[in-house]
Amino acid sequence: MSAKLFKGAEYLISEVSSADVFTPEDFSDEQRQIGATTEQFVLNEVLPHREEIEHHNLPLTVELMKKCGELGLLMIDAPEEYGGLELDKATSMLAAEKLAQAGSFSVTYSAHTGIGTLPLVYYGTKEQKEKYLGKIISGEWIAAYCLTEPGSGSDALGAAATATLSPDGRHYILNGTKQFITNGGIANLYTVFAKIDKQHFTGFLVERTTEGLSVGAEENKMGVRGSSTTQIILEDAMVPVENLLGEIGKGHKIAFNVLNVGRFKLGAGATGAAKRAITEGVRYANERKAFGVPIATFGAIQEKIADQTAAIFASESVVYRLAGLIDDRLATIPKETPDYYEAYQEGIEEYSIECAIAKVFCSEMLADTVDAVVQIHGGYGFIQEYAAEGYYRDERINRIWEGTNEINRLLIPGIILKRAMKGEIPLQKEAMKAFESLMSPSFDELDDSLPFAAEKALLANLKQAFLVLAGSGVQKFMNTIKDEQEILLAVADVAINIFAIESAILRAEKILPALSDSRKASIRAAVKVFTFNGSEKTASAARRAAYYIEEGDTLTMLLAGIRRFTRYDATGLLQAKRQLASASIAAEKYIF
Amino acid sequence: MKILVCIKQVPDLESRFKPNAEGVWYSETDLAWRMNEYDEYAVEQAVQLREKLGETTELTVLSIGPERVVEAIKKALAMGCDRAVHVRDSAAAAKDPWQIASIIAAYAKREGFDLIFAGMQSQDRGSAQVGVAVAEQLGYACTTTIVGFEYDNGAITAKRELEGGMKGVVRMKAPALITCQLGLNVPRYPTLPNIMKAKKKEISVIPVAELLTEGALANTTSFHSPAKKGGGVVLEGEVDLLVSQLLGILHEKTAVFR
Ligand SMILES: Cc1cc2nc3c(=O)[nH]c(=O)nc-3n(C[C@H](O)[C@H](O)[C@H](O)COP(=O)(O)OP(=O)(O)OC[C@H]3O[C@@H](n4cnc5c(N)ncnc54)[C@H](O)[C@@H]3O)c2cc1C
Repeated sequence: MSAKLFKGAEYLISEVSSADVFTPEDFSDEQRQIGATTEQFVLNEVLPHREEIEHHNLPLTVELMKKCGELGLLMIDAPEEYGGLELDKATSMLAAEKLAQAGSFSVTYSAHTGIGTLPLVYYGTKEQKEKYLGKIISGEWIAAYCLTEPGSGSDALGAAATATLSPDGRHYILNGTKQFITNGGIANLYTVFAKIDKQHFTGFLVERTTEGLSVGAEENKMGVRGSSTTQIILEDAMVPVENLLGEIGKGHKIAFNVLNVGRFKLGAGATGAAKRAITEGVRYANERKAFGVPIATFGAIQEKIADQTAAIFASESVVYRLAGLIDDRLATIPKETPDYYEAYQEGIEEYSIECAIAKVFCSEMLADTVDAVVQIHGGYGFIQEYAAEGYYRDERINRIWEGTNEINRLLIPGIILKRAMKGEIPLQKEAMKAFESLMSPSFDELDDSLPFAAEKALLANLKQAFLVLAGSGVQKFMNTIKDEQEILLAVADVAINIFAIESAILRAEKILPALSDSRKASIRAAVKVFTFNGSEKTASAARRAAYYIEEGDTLTMLLAGIRRFTRYDATGLLQAKRQLASASIAAEKYIF
Repeated sequence: MKILVCIKQVPDLESRFKPNAEGVWYSETDLAWRMNEYDEYAVEQAVQLREKLGETTELTVLSIGPERVVEAIKKALAMGCDRAVHVRDSAAAAKDPWQIASIIAAYAKREGFDLIFAGMQSQDRGSAQVGVAVAEQLGYACTTTIVGFEYDNGAITAKRELEGGMKGVVRMKAPALITCQLGLNVPRYPTLPNIMKAKKKEISVIPVAELLTEGALANTTSFHSPAKKGGGVVLEGEVDLLVSQLLGILHEKTAVFR
């Protein structure tokens, strides 16, 4: 646990020290063992059946979920009181990361343990938990979450499904259609959102056998084809009043809070999938010969391996840093607190910005990785027999669900501004300071004796760039900034990249002293490669934002500032890439 | 009844090995560690027996090595061992099988175990001597390389692997020591609840100096990569010519006809 408790988005306005971040290298023996059990389960029990699962052998999937239950993989997030293990988020993310190597099966698993189970854990009454939780954490029952409708996806609160109290007051009568429900065809319990009297958005626990509930046909999907995705149709479905979840009219709280964890977990899953994909890519590169030599000897191939290895290192750093942030905060809430889960929710909500960052950054990192892995495979990457083809298709959904990446990007500056208005983060004050430094640049010499001095100086500058842009945007558009989506998206990119670069640097700094010389060299190389790539992306996003916001002299000044704020001396970049690539090629896997 | 299972932590065999600075063992830098595969069969068999015999039986796991071996010990505890002994020794890798066996025997003598399980060999040193040497030093009955095991009221029936794919059956009485081979069982993965429960189990630490009395009988003089061999020769042509050609080579370059 770190000494300091950080607030959400605080990283943008303050300096974070490496002692304050949690890293994968900080895992306890127990966490590592849980990771190993999960990985063994995937390798020995799931992957041998990959073909069958992909061809929609759903009974097999259900069977494997029961095995997950026997191993305790479904009880990580459930309270001890109801037979769960109540482990921290770092452990939960590690399990999600390892399971993500299982392709479609991991979709079943995450929907069940995440959006399927958490509403009940967080908002269920004692009776509801006693009735359902035991079945869910043993794998006897599968859970699903029904929010999306044919007419409302991103606009989730625009749901048309209705709930009406029956005349005898014992049931709610549910009507409506839920769309694209993961585990729809195999679930026994559905968390369904509907509006009571067409206005109070509310959650319900609906059993599969409820009269009036029917399951639609399986969708024919681009990827994660082995998972079940169906409509759930409610026609005068009679749901007992005691199955109302949480409070009437407070369904949005359930929906959104569960999504925070879901987004975070998606980040962990994307990281695990990317590790597997790059491992496959490196292995193929060693095996495949062209022009008489293994393609792994080509700089063009090595560069892909290096760039993606560095990006995965950053992605891992993001996920576990966020786990540390959340775990540290949740650990301050005494378990006896009467409204424990309310305080718990607030603890997680504090980091909704970071959860959205993890979702966007990690899913896009995975997209780049699977694309590179297909490219490394050449024509064979296009053929179904090769795993690369499946990774490529399976990746795509991650940028769509749990809130599209657009929605998540828009959330980031949206929440930051809201918090600034409420006075929770001194954004305005800091932005003013940043403007001053824009006018009067300082030319401090770097202290090269400190680890990652150049990278840290860059980070401080990138934060200035963020503040200047956010400040300019607000100044120019005031309240209507929320309608300037192109600006918000660009500013979000700046915030996302800062968090990722910072997470990678701080992790590297923290773990460096304990490493051997060759590991040190690889870590330094990863930091250099990722910081360079990240700073280039940040610079491009920042310039985009500047052009959108300003014009004339102010624009010129802003662009000059951005040039200065995003300057990074990446001397030795090529050697760093070759170093990373050769270490990966020698190990034939993701090396960190 | 008291059962002991002996485990060793070894490097992941997919690692890249390099000789250490002294040139007498491999360098431990950047290696990933895990429980010796054969010891996993031993733990699994011991745990199955412990489960069958119930609460009156106590199963202890022992490992010799530096701080890092605690991770392997914890795995054995999560698989179902009741308590653990960590014989702390930062120079375990430099000891020969006889010395390692003497450490285990010294501890076992104190405790008076009825049954001791060990792996058939370690994946790194591969001497296959530690188990038998422990039995020798304790004066226990012993059988090795077992692929089947039954226990009934002090009587052990073990199926062991012989040369050439044959199997033999050995019957013996406790106290006894057996070493376990691939095929004996399928080791379980520790479940999450058991991993967490293992956290509360006792791990007693004994400094190796307390148990070590024997000197080494064997000594590693050098540890290095195999010397590069020359390439092979492909003989082509008529069969009778090939035969005389081959005979010539065998006479000239090998000891086959000497
Ligand atoms: C395989 C699969 C499994 C799924 N599983 C589940 C599940 O288990 N439970 C569940 O409830 N849902 C599930 N979904 C639904 C998923 O969450 C939605 O598809 C997703 O939220 C997007 O909604 P939509 O499809 O209606 O797209 P739309 O909301 O129509 O979006 C279309 C495009 O418009 C953009 N857009 C929309 N609104 C805005 C805005 N305000 N500003 C800027 N851009 C905007 C989007 O980013 C997107 O690019 C699943 C979907 C799939 C494909």
